[in-house]
Amino acid sequence: MSVHRTGSTRFEDVVLPQLNAAYNLARWLTRNGHDAEDVVQEACERALKYFDAFRGGDAKAWFLTVVRHACYDWLKRNRPSEIAPGDGSEAIENAPDPAMLTPEEVVMRDASSSALAEAIAGLPVGYREVLILREFEELPYKDIARVVDIPIGTVMSRLARARALLQRSPLLHAIRDRSAGAER
Amino acid sequence: MNCHEAMVLLPAYSDGELDPVQSAAIEKHVLGCADCTVQRDELERLRSRIRSEVPYYAAPPALHAWVKAALARAKDAPSPERPPRDRWRWLSAGALAGSAATVFAWFIGSAVLDWQVGTDLVAETVANHARATLGNRLVDVASSDRHTVKPWLSSRLDYSPPVQDFSADGLPLAGGRLDYLDGHPVATLVYRYREHTIDVFVRPAIGGRSASSPATATLRGFNVAHATGAGMEWWGVSDASADVLQSLVSRLARGPE
Repeated sequence: MSVHRTGSTRFEDVVLPQLNAAYNLARWLTRNGHDAEDVVQEACERALKYFDAFRGGDAKAWFLTVVRHACYDWLKRNRPSEIAPGDGSEAIENAPDPAMLTPEEVVMRDASSSALAEAIAGLPVGYREVLILREFEELPYKDIARVVDIPIGTVMSRLARARALLQRSPLLHAIRDRSAGAER
Repeated sequence: MNCHEAMVLLPAYSDGELDPVQSAAIEKHVLGCADCTVQRDELERLRSRIRSEVPYYAAPPALHAWVKAALARAKDAPSPERPPRDRWRWLSAGALAGSAATVFAWFIGSAVLDWQVGTDLVAETVANHARATLGNRLVDVASSDRHTVKPWLSSRLDYSPPVQDFSADGLPLAGGRLDYLDGHPVATLVYRYREHTIDVFVRPAIGGRSASSPATATLRGFNVAHATGAGMEWWGVSDASADVLQSLVSRLARGPE
């Protein structure tokens, strides 16, 4: 049995169990199912190519790092305004705040979809990714730091900021006011 | 600990990132501090709203199929150091027949289950199980006491899964976990059987579906058993034998004795 074949077999054990996590991350970063599929396919091809570089350890963090890179490459090509050159910290601070949406824009949103999901989709990508990795994948801070390639302190500050933005998002308050009005 | 310190540490506390000593200090402070209690409750409320209102996007079946096909291609591609003659001998040595038999057995096995639930769910339960056993998140609440596991799960879901412990029969309850199945949060009961871990996914039976006897399937080396009963649908997934799995799932589906 060749090395190549052994590599592929192990690859299967590492990547297939993480496919949902990979797709969920890509889906939230690209905000589109079709593009998320493309990005995950691209990530799988890269992971397969560079699998030799994986030296064991946390398979999930390793594969999600590859997926995130593929997402960022996609964003660079398709939505360069969402990510900044360099480390991106400046763009995150200057990114449009979902709290800046006008009441009309809020009403225009599809009322059937979850207001909270809309608010998360509206977060700057740097906040969105740490929130998704924490709340859905329940990665420990140290793994989030590895996947996103930032210090643990930055993981904590971005999470705090993401949660604060969600808590005061007008999307949530709009729904709350609407349902309160209906009860009256 | 003062309020300022507590406010800074609260998010890490609620994310389970603090050591027991720091956690105890936070809990002690929060008990006597109204502001920090509000802050903690808001963090918890946001978390539970995210869990219940925000979709988890599971990989679509087409993507699973694509990855499997890509893997098969990678396996078939001759590696540079392997001469073609060698490859042919490897094929003729029965590997091809073996893999065909595996595919066939999988097809037969899952066809039984297909009829009732569909392979997507089977694949999802296996992925959940593999993810939990590969990573370090086997249980969210570790307890052999069903009176601890049940309320923990009920408080995080919109249904209350029946929980039983079968320690007397060599199947002790190890704890509970929250997973996603079919795009919804689902209760997972974790049992031990000798060296094996058994995950049982429980969700309310759809539209009064009547009790059914268990069906089993094998996927990627894991056994999967499914049954409906006690108002719930049950999926057991494990590398333990199909017989053990089937008997556990049928006992759960029969409800408490």
